[in-house]
Amino acid sequence: MAILRDSVTQPEANIGKAFNDIACNSRGTPRTRVNKLLHSNPNLWRGCDMAGQGFHGVATGYRELDDILPGRGWPRSGLVEVIARHSGMGELQLLIPLMQSVIKQGKWILWVAPPYLLNAPALTQAGIDVDQILIVKQDTPCKDALWSMEKAMQTENCGLVLAWQNWLPGKVLRRLQLAAEAGDTLAILFKRNDSKYSPSSLRLQIKASATGNRDFSRAEVTVIKARGNFRPLSAQFSLYPESLSA
Amino acid sequence: MEDPDNSAQKPAATAGSRKSGVLKLPLANRCEPDKQHCPNGESNKNPTKSRSIRQSLWYALYFPQLSELSESQQTQILTELAGLAENVSATVSFHSQALVCEIRSSLRYFGGIDNIHSKLQSLIVPALQTRSLGDSFLYAASPTVSGSLLLARSGHNALVYQKENLRSALGKLSVDVLDLQKEQRRRLHSMGVRKIRDIWRLPTEGLHKRFGSNFVNSLSKAVGKSPEPTRNYIPSPEFSASYDLPYEVENLHYLLPIIDEILIKLRDFLIQRDLSTSRLRLSMIHEKRSRTEIDIGLRQATRHRDHLLLLIETHFAQLTVPAPVVGLKLEVKQFDAFLSDSEALVTEEQIEHGSKINSKNLDQFIEQLHARLGDDALKSINTVAEHCPEYATQQLNYKDKKAEMSVAGVANNPRPFWLLDAPIQLTLKGSKLYHREAIILISGPERIETYWWSGQDILRDYYIARDRNGSRLWVFRERRGKRNWFLHGYFS
Repeated sequence: MAILRDSVTQPEANIGKAFNDIACNSRGTPRTRVNKLLHSNPNLWRGCDMAGQGFHGVATGYRELDDILPGRGWPRSGLVEVIARHSGMGELQLLIPLMQSVIKQGKWILWVAPPYLLNAPALTQAGIDVDQILIVKQDTPCKDALWSMEKAMQTENCGLVLAWQNWLPGKVLRRLQLAAEAGDTLAILFKRNDSKYSPSSLRLQIKASATGNRDFSRAEVTVIKARGNFRPLSAQFSLYPESLSA
Repeated sequence: MEDPDNSAQKPAATAGSRKSGVLKLPLANRCEPDKQHCPNGESNKNPTKSRSIRQSLWYALYFPQLSELSESQQTQILTELAGLAENVSATVSFHSQALVCEIRSSLRYFGGIDNIHSKLQSLIVPALQTRSLGDSFLYAASPTVSGSLLLARSGHNALVYQKENLRSALGKLSVDVLDLQKEQRRRLHSMGVRKIRDIWRLPTEGLHKRFGSNFVNSLSKAVGKSPEPTRNYIPSPEFSASYDLPYEVENLHYLLPIIDEILIKLRDFLIQRDLSTSRLRLSMIHEKRSRTEIDIGLRQATRHRDHLLLLIETHFAQLTVPAPVVGLKLEVKQFDAFLSDSEALVTEEQIEHGSKINSKNLDQFIEQLHARLGDDALKSINTVAEHCPEYATQQLNYKDKKAEMSVAGVANNPRPFWLLDAPIQLTLKGSKLYHREAIILISGPERIETYWWSGQDILRDYYIARDRNGSRLWVFRERRGKRNWFLHGYFS
């Protein structure tokens, strides 16, 4: 992992001037080219990320969450584990802005063996076109569900894969993470319990905000592990737009 | 019966000796444009004779009993009969309630027109009988398609070999055999025209004016003065390839190289005909057992070998055979027109916009899912304009999904993402609700009343609630009976 501090980028301006006559061409100054090169590789973590300078993520739609995620948003590809101990924590609402952007790109969302019936009016209310939603039926065996996930991630038109599996060994998670990276797709795995030492690129937990249960809208999200973060960070924010919060 | 080839072609041989090699070839009328390439001037000098060189003999079968059936039934029956008529002729064309086949080319092979007729009769009469359409048909043969049709319609079962004799043979027929409108028929009748030869006595220009050029044209077609384009029967393609294994195979994966070979054959077959396929059946033959069959259905027709092999491989992963396999058979159940992948000029820009992403990749993925998990494993959902929450979501198999679904209105009140399969009853202790944990109501009620007309009314007050863990719940209270509380969904 390479760490570039802002001080390292300071001399660039001088270098840029020195090389102006030789290296500079129509594509821009070397400084912008170096920046571009650094930004193009999401595996390269830059110390300035946490200061809000890296923008390689996909905005989550929640400013408070963007602030604690490296790259200010969801990773572009890879496996994300969302841990919610109970149903109804707002774990789907958290992903609604992401789903909207996937739908807007004309891509499909695959729901692999969801735990309950998916309620179409709720999706329509959230601004998601149900025509681009595909569900692998509820009681699919785990083996088939994993197979579908892996195949979906290889499919260009599947923009997002959602799955509900509780007990997956690290080896399987690693395989899913690699498949997601290879297919350049984001896969979200919903779990009840946290498992340590998971190879996923992002692991976060969502739970009710400590401020009290009477408030419908607020939730607390903890980023347990993210590639590029040193320590767990958490944020409390309102998940629902004003009109829906009671 | 005299062989007409001799009588018809002898004068022709003198007319164009240079092309005598061609004379033996049976040429249909459709080939007549070839005549223009003919270099010798004689053919222009003596057009009737040069045409008689190439003249063919058309055998018309007329089925008056078909007129009572609907048009689609007629086409269906005629297509079936055309398949039978292919036994005697390579060119079979469709006409109203009639078929016409070219038989000069097969005269020598069958040994005369009588043999051809009895063969056709033995084929077609049983086919008519099974459909209870009587046991006879009218027929005639002559050197022109329209001429044969007219002769057949007259019911004389006539045979005319020479084009020169056609005019007098047709002339004897009543004008009723012509395919005329009522008004034209009435007008002919009032002109005193009873037979076709009466028409030929009238000046052509006047006929053009009174009855239109179509009428005159159809008559000149009948005597072979103008070309007759026809719609010909093209048999539907069939593909079936089988392979007998030299030894018994139990591991299905050993079959894949052989299947690959068969798929190469299939691909070549499809490429030659510019077709693709969307439905296949692979049968595995066992000794002393009924065969194992795999039906492969594709969402998008293809002739891509790798894709088909991948699908079969996916099927094999889920399949166990009852006995070792001794043979393989691949049949195509449905052919489709082949559509090329990239015909658009501006595909790249469309992908940028997103909405027009090539759906091929997705279709392949869905086919693979169907192959492994079964046809009912993949669902799509739709919003339905319904008050009752259970019925507001329509979940259907992806296969049955309609291309364009209606956009239904949804409720204004918040709805949860998850609905339970069946509502769970909550316990009420004192004044507190419990579902594992204590529940606090946050907002509501939203009253839903519907289905009062069905006798199974739905009378509910819905509330949004949270339990001690922080789960957002959608609960309701029945407004009749014991007024119980139920959990119906989660705001996830």
